[in-house]
Amino acid sequence: MEALVDLILNSYLVFVVLYFIGVNLTYTVLLAISVREIVNHMRHDRFSNYRLIVQSELTPPVSILAPAYNEEATVIQSVKSLLKLGYGKYEVVVINDGSKDKTLAQLTAEFEMYRSRQVYNPRIEAKPVRGIYKSRLPEYKNLVVVDKENGGKADALNVGINVARYEYVCCIDADSILEDDALQKVMKSFLEDEQVIAVGGIVRIANGCEVVNGRVVKVGLSNQLIPIFQVIEYFRAFLSGRMSWQAVNGLLIISGAFGLFKRSAVLEVGGYKHDTVGEDMELIVRLHRFKREKRQRYRIVFVPDPVCWTEAPDTVKVLSRQRNRWHRGLLDTMLIHRKMFLNPQYGVIGMAAMPYFVFVELLGPVIEFFGYLAMVVLVIMGSLNLQLGILFFIVALFYGVMYSVGAVLLEELSFQRYPNPRDLAMLLSFGVLENFGYRQLTAWWRVKGIWDYFRGKNAWGSMQRKGFSTFKT
Amino acid sequence: MDLQFLILIVLAVAAAIFSVLTAIVVVIRKTIDRNRAKTQARLYQFYAARCSELLLTDLPPLPADSKPSSIFLQYESLIEPTKRSLAGMVATRRQVHREALQQVLVDFAQDISGDSSRRLVYFFYTLGFVDDELRLMRSRRWWIRANAARTLGLLGAKKAIAALTASLEDPHPDVRHQAMQSLVKLVGPDALRTILRISKNLSRWTAIELSVVVSGFKGTAVPFLIEALRSRDQSVVLFATEMLAEIGLVTAVEPLMHLIRTTIDTTIQAQSLKTLGRLGDERARNLVVELLKSKVQPVRLSAMEALGKIGGSEAVEMLKPWLASRLQEEKLVAARALATTGVEGIAVLRAAGAHNDELSAAIADQVLEEFGVEREEA
Repeated sequence: MEALVDLILNSYLVFVVLYFIGVNLTYTVLLAISVREIVNHMRHDRFSNYRLIVQSELTPPVSILAPAYNEEATVIQSVKSLLKLGYGKYEVVVINDGSKDKTLAQLTAEFEMYRSRQVYNPRIEAKPVRGIYKSRLPEYKNLVVVDKENGGKADALNVGINVARYEYVCCIDADSILEDDALQKVMKSFLEDEQVIAVGGIVRIANGCEVVNGRVVKVGLSNQLIPIFQVIEYFRAFLSGRMSWQAVNGLLIISGAFGLFKRSAVLEVGGYKHDTVGEDMELIVRLHRFKREKRQRYRIVFVPDPVCWTEAPDTVKVLSRQRNRWHRGLLDTMLIHRKMFLNPQYGVIGMAAMPYFVFVELLGPVIEFFGYLAMVVLVIMGSLNLQLGILFFIVALFYGVMYSVGAVLLEELSFQRYPNPRDLAMLLSFGVLENFGYRQLTAWWRVKGIWDYFRGKNAWGSMQRKGFSTFKT
Repeated sequence: MDLQFLILIVLAVAAAIFSVLTAIVVVIRKTIDRNRAKTQARLYQFYAARCSELLLTDLPPLPADSKPSSIFLQYESLIEPTKRSLAGMVATRRQVHREALQQVLVDFAQDISGDSSRRLVYFFYTLGFVDDELRLMRSRRWWIRANAARTLGLLGAKKAIAALTASLEDPHPDVRHQAMQSLVKLVGPDALRTILRISKNLSRWTAIELSVVVSGFKGTAVPFLIEALRSRDQSVVLFATEMLAEIGLVTAVEPLMHLIRTTIDTTIQAQSLKTLGRLGDERARNLVVELLKSKVQPVRLSAMEALGKIGGSEAVEMLKPWLASRLQEEKLVAARALATTGVEGIAVLRAAGAHNDELSAAIADQVLEEFGVEREEA
């Protein structure tokens, strides 16, 4: 019996080693593609005069959709910041998703809103709208507040899409801070190529930055550990992962915190799905699916420059909930669209992007977690080749460090948002440190996410926003 | 087992070397960038001061019978010391100094005119910057060609017009964009004729770039835009119609009407109708009314919008039935068009509740609100 267990566990470890090699080869290829893409982007960007977008009468108008649920602490500041963006014609649509606090009252009082006679056209089915409000003040003429029954973020966004006046809709989180030129930069992709139906911008972590009047005026790192680890993770996810997948039109996610869509394309697929916790990813996969089934030419793009700042969780408890939810969303999306998996009809999505997301992103933490478990059992049984085990751990550590350093390199090659060399040194050190504990912890949360999914736990989990005014000032 | 060991060790060493090298490169790069920025700032200041001197130095007046080239001899005497100083440097240092000097000259060129501007153009030529950039226009790397195209425009190098015109057909869009911008700087509105004739598949981005230039030319651009209405390329025609609407000269009305009658492209028809609406000329009314019956919805919607802007009692009568359309979008466009016609149209919307279905009444109500008419009045 013991021999059998020993054989199984050792075979599993061999599988882990092979899996590890495969995954790392994939990461290396993705990193190499990202470097090429970012260098190309930087070259291209040198010749872009974004002021023209503001100056020209031909610039298409945009509807910014900001769903808000119990956001009384931050909503006024966020909306004021959105109303000051550097863009030609745009409207801000705040969707109050049945908040139980004073979100709506604060908005109506601050912006002198009145109940509008605008006709609501429910092109996408959603929870009932209780009222549409507009401002009496001329300076806030482009602000619309929609009050609706609670139905979740996806439902609120669907209402926003219904209410939006313009062909381009920018979906953001109500507490996100868009940089002044973010809309200009994200719109450029649509203007350059009419096949583009969705564009995502980079999301960066605002913890530790100096925020004044809803604008990030000084970029810095938080003095807490958890947000710094997330800065590295975001570099890897956005600068390496998304940049490389978009190069082959294989981008499977545009962050819910900041994405610009062609409204007609979103309406065509029926808007956001409101019974999933990964609605942002699910929409993108559905757009791919729809366009490929209809054999229509299209592109979904990621632009690494337009920045959206967001408040990251700074406690282990909140972070664990967020990662758990993200993983459940990923699993749900993969299951909903399982027909596309390894299906050549869906091209790069079915044959490369989805297998990557399933084998690397979804199952990676499970394989890693059980790898640790197998090692522990084998050590207890005295059957582990300790030297080999330690060596493997060192290799895994080095590769973890390599990709973190690679992601920091991408940032340095391109945007250099952290001008202080001390911050750079910190980021490089945290790229090493994250492999001791943090990485294992996130793997565990993700495994737990899968477990919770199959147990039917599909709640969002709350995150108490502190508001940007509490950040470094 | 040995093989496993070997593989792992190779992997570990590869990762370690990569990580360490990358980290070193990042740190070194950061340091070099900082130092380079400092040096460039210092050189920029130095040459900015020197250029100000060169531009502000008074030159003795030339006799009336002097040759045209005499002025260039005077300019040459100004720049000679700088040329000598550059010639005395080793190649790498000279390159850094030339880059700084070129940057200063380019920056100055954007803010000055008259004799100072002529001096600058001469300096560009005599220092060899123009020839350098023309050489770079032949580079195999698109970003170098694009940069050269831009710089030539900023340098005011008329010698580059032929090369820039050829670049309008460059395979890379950024090179084409830069060539367009530079040609406009060098040639003025006349460049539009060539640009619009040669251009194909204008992206929206290119159209936006061009729109800012064309808006600056205002009326002088209209003949070229009207000429562009005959282009075979849809994107060029659409651009021309949109810009004619922006500029707003009624000389475009007849050519636009001709275009609508002769084209089978409904996108062009719809866009041209919008332009006719914005021009607001009554000559277009009959054609617009005719197109209200189009089978293509975007054409119908554009016709409604145009009719609203052209206005008049006839327009109100023609638009009224559309309030009862089955399609919500058509109701809304018709209501907005009615409101645009003025008092008569507003009266129709006020009465909409009595004569139409609930949705039409609600839409009329919404549009009245949009146009600032209070519900009580309605």
